[in-house]
Amino acid sequence: MNKELEHSFVIQLEKNQNIAHKICRLYTNDQDSHNDLFQEITIQLWRAFPKFRGDSKFSTWMYRVALNTAITLYRKSKRQISTQDFEGVSFKIKAEEYDDTIEQQLKLMYGAVKKLNDIDKALVFLYLEDKSYREISETLGITEVNARVKMNRAKEKLRKILNP
Amino acid sequence: MDELDKFKKEWQSREQELPKISYNDIYKMLLKKSSSIVKWIFIISVAELLFWISLYFIIPEDNIKLMHEMGIGKILYYSNIVHFSVFGIFIFFFYKNYQSIQVTDNTKMLMNSILKTRKTVRYFVYYNVSMFILSSIVIDFFFYSNSSKLYEVMDFASKGVPEEGFANIFIITQIIVGIVVIGLLVLFYWLVYGILLKRLKSNYRELEKMED
Repeated sequence: MNKELEHSFVIQLEKNQNIAHKICRLYTNDQDSHNDLFQEITIQLWRAFPKFRGDSKFSTWMYRVALNTAITLYRKSKRQISTQDFEGVSFKIKAEEYDDTIEQQLKLMYGAVKKLNDIDKALVFLYLEDKSYREISETLGITEVNARVKMNRAKEKLRKILNP
Repeated sequence: MDELDKFKKEWQSREQELPKISYNDIYKMLLKKSSSIVKWIFIISVAELLFWISLYFIIPEDNIKLMHEMGIGKILYYSNIVHFSVFGIFIFFFYKNYQSIQVTDNTKMLMNSILKTRKTVRYFVYYNVSMFILSSIVIDFFFYSNSSKLYEVMDFASKGVPEEGFANIFIITQIIVGIVVIGLLVLFYWLVYGILLKRLKSNYRELEKMED
């Protein structure tokens, strides 16, 4: 039974691992921390998995647990505070598809999002993942109106970071 | 914001550039131990509970004998019964709050249950520190007003301690020791909270701010 549960969990996580990687990239600044956080997310998901009833999609459930781990449970290591490795963000662009200007703009935008506080980052992340305000508010535990207000403020902060 | 929406398109179209972890590697991760803040809070909290409870078991025999000889043994006995009942209540609430920490709750609820668990332990410590201060004041006051009996019971005469000014020196020493102990406790908690809860608290405040 346990083996079956493990198998079904690993299959689903393997399929949906992009969600965790995207969160790891936003909340950490180097590869070691990325791997640490990914592992912690996996452990937290696995622990909570027996209670996952399947009445929502695995991915929906995963957003919540993975974000909670990144924002609340994960202990940042010291090296993260000192490094601001935006270059490591890895937006490897194929030269024939994008010109340098777009590449540069994206890098700047990614850098700006990484500068936001943990909560604003979560809001922007869910927005980028095309989540509705209802889903955002349910994930973070705030009202929908507040999610909208906060999102607008986060956008304003991004504008200020990009155009100081 | 046009720029963010432009970024959104890119964000969604570049998933293939993310790393891929294999089935076997994910499988191996299931066996790894968590290093989450909740685990640390649990360890530190249990250590604190044990520390404060064990203090009552390591009071030197001489001190207990002294209390009895000074005539306050019975009061001490009953106050210990009250203490241990209060400890039981705290441990019950700590366990109940700890159990309520669920990673599947929404972010605000999760933070709230972690902070609530910590708060139980904090109140437990407040209770102990206040009891420590209160009982020190009462006992010191009692000893001060019965200093000649204390001088006799502790047999200071044979140790060559002069009776004159003895009460003042005794009380000043007690106060200094008390202040040092409380200072160390404050430092310890300042460090524990600083390391463990700073980020969580500021994130919680950030979420609360939205509710204004």
